[in-house]
Amino acid sequence: MKRKLSIKHSMIVSIARKEFLHIIHDPRTLTILFLMPILQLTMFGYALNLEIQRVDMAVVDYANSTGSREIVEQFNGSKFFHLLPYEGELDQVDQMFKARRAKVVMIIPYDFDRQLLRDRQIPLQFIIDASDANAATLIRNYCSQVVNDFNQVHNQKLPLPFDLRPTIFFNPDMKSTYFFVPGLIALLLIMISALLTSITITREKETGTMEQILVSPVRPYQIILGKVIPYVLLGLLIAAVILLIGIFLFKVPFIGSLPLLTLLTLLYIVTALSLGLMISTIAKTQQVAMMIALVATLLPTFMLSGFIFPIPSMPIVLQYISYIIPARFYLLIARGIILKGSTFYNLLAPTLILLLMSVILITVAVRRFSLNLEK
Amino acid sequence: MRRILFMMRKEFLQIFRDPPMIGIIFMVPLVQLFVLAYAITTDVKHIKLTIMDFDKSYVSRQIEDAFSHTERFDVVSYTSDVRVIDQQMRAWETQMALVIPANFSRDLRRGLNPQIQVVVDGVDGNSAGVALGYAQQILADYGLSWATSPRHFLVARDMHLVTMWPRMWYNPNLDSKEYMVPGIVVILLTIIPMMLSAMSLVKEKEIGTLEQLMVTPLRKHQLLLGKLIPFLILSYFELALVMAFAIVVFQISMIGSYTLLAALSLLYLFTTIGLGIFVSTFTGSQQQAMFFSWFFMVFMLLMSGFFIPIENMPKSLQALTYLNPMRYFMYIIRDIFEKGSSIRFLWRDVIPMTAFGLIIISSGVIKFRKRIS
Repeated sequence: MKRKLSIKHSMIVSIARKEFLHIIHDPRTLTILFLMPILQLTMFGYALNLEIQRVDMAVVDYANSTGSREIVEQFNGSKFFHLLPYEGELDQVDQMFKARRAKVVMIIPYDFDRQLLRDRQIPLQFIIDASDANAATLIRNYCSQVVNDFNQVHNQKLPLPFDLRPTIFFNPDMKSTYFFVPGLIALLLIMISALLTSITITREKETGTMEQILVSPVRPYQIILGKVIPYVLLGLLIAAVILLIGIFLFKVPFIGSLPLLTLLTLLYIVTALSLGLMISTIAKTQQVAMMIALVATLLPTFMLSGFIFPIPSMPIVLQYISYIIPARFYLLIARGIILKGSTFYNLLAPTLILLLMSVILITVAVRRFSLNLEK
Repeated sequence: MRRILFMMRKEFLQIFRDPPMIGIIFMVPLVQLFVLAYAITTDVKHIKLTIMDFDKSYVSRQIEDAFSHTERFDVVSYTSDVRVIDQQMRAWETQMALVIPANFSRDLRRGLNPQIQVVVDGVDGNSAGVALGYAQQILADYGLSWATSPRHFLVARDMHLVTMWPRMWYNPNLDSKEYMVPGIVVILLTIIPMMLSAMSLVKEKEIGTLEQLMVTPLRKHQLLLGKLIPFLILSYFELALVMAFAIVVFQISMIGSYTLLAALSLLYLFTTIGLGIFVSTFTGSQQQAMFFSWFFMVFMLLMSGFFIPIENMPKSLQALTYLNPMRYFMYIIRDIFEKGSSIRFLWRDVIPMTAFGLIIISSGVIKFRKRIS
């Protein structure tokens, strides 16, 4: 009995070793696997900024008076706006937008000062290039802030009757890097676990080596385990690298419990691996496996998991779809533990969902895999 | 010429022999179109809000109503214990808490400037910033209406308020699809040609048929043309399909010239197919080819302004984006779609894009020829 057991073990170990050698023998892929997250982390850390820094604003000042200069000065003083004089006729705004010289044009009417003294409401026209709707909304909000400030200065009696004191928990500087480190771990683990495993198994099918393994006395689950273990280790290693870079280079605070994170990360890896296994039972060639993996795992993980874009803002159909994406729940777990110090009890719901997903996926994948083998 | 046609026929046969692949080539774009068009919004809605009302007055209830009556905020719970908020945030049950102190309305009437506290979960920095902005806006509006109501100290007659009249050009409904869908066209014209050409060239290497092709009387440029023209044709099909979907299903308005778009797409395809050839010269297996194409893809995408506006990046990264051919095409397509820009306004982008295309495709071809001889 004991001998049998050890044979089983040695089978798994030798398949794992073969797979491991396979990985090692392809240093280019390995380099990319390590380089990709590091570069992405750097880029997300520095580049991903959805707040606009500088808006080019053209000013048409028909009044050229004290009041108009004051409001122009108000815009000039705001760090968001970069003012440029407007040349030419008003009907050339279209050309200005097309040449991308300005994003917004402010038009001050010639009797601005008189209106300022006389009227209760003084309309001020802003033409905004709304081709990028998100940016246009932000620009409008910035303009309205500056206009409000101007109103405050001009109406001494307008102080707000109460104060607002914002308190920011967990990430007081609101740094986006903090948010992306856990996200990248989720993305990368899916990539390695689902994509790589599905490709390596279909490769064996494509090159015909799967039959060779099949005529040997190895059992299906041994093949699966042997092929999967090296990728689990690789995944954990890369996750650790990302985490270390995040902590030491980007100063991401790690507040929670490391054992808890490791445990739940393993759960996520298992879910992702069974997804990869599923794909390999559907696809016959590497190209197909890759394309399915791309559409079924990477794209939704990137777009629909809440990695960058907030789920509650999406249309309801996409919100429903997001419920079947493992990364959605892993992100709650990883971000919760790393950034907020959430406990297991806090994260019970996402953990249970992930567990349920992996149980279903494993059952279906293993069954399909053995069926495929028998054929 | 006939040889090239034969080679092209072989290539088409090979593509169409693989039905799942065909499905994927045409399904992937549509799935992407659907997901990307709707998922990418930096708008923040339905922020989960917890209310801590220690005042329990008419005024505090009015403030709560002001929050619950917008789709920006969803009031999820009421509590009177700060520790509850901390726990709720750790479990992702709430994102923001509004704390109205005891005696708020009394202090307000006496002009004592009481303080409202807004606690926000800062983990998602972008959303937190936006959420705070909304809260500020709502409270400022309420404060203004409270102060200017006839019973209080300000009299509306004395006020001279400048109000904004914003006019939104090109996209008056502020529909982000109008901006994202043209961007997706660019992504598709990048992924599909690059990956397909790289993987198809590498596949011949991997299974050894490249040598067989080389001992035939086919010349090297014939071989390459015969392999790549089918992908060019396929990419154009893809473009037509996606454009049709964008215009018919997503109701995207395309006000520019179709001829200009088709012509500039061809220039851009030089770049992406060239990159595909390039990748195939230094990779040995389909897996490697896929990873390298993917690698290029991710960086081109991030640095293209597709969803991270280039103007928001630090200066050094902005300079780096000039090396990215996708950046130029992203501007071109979006401007043609939305603003109907003519070539007169697009020269700035067309010239560098063409230069990149020519450099990339010729160096790819040169490397490939060296490699197989």
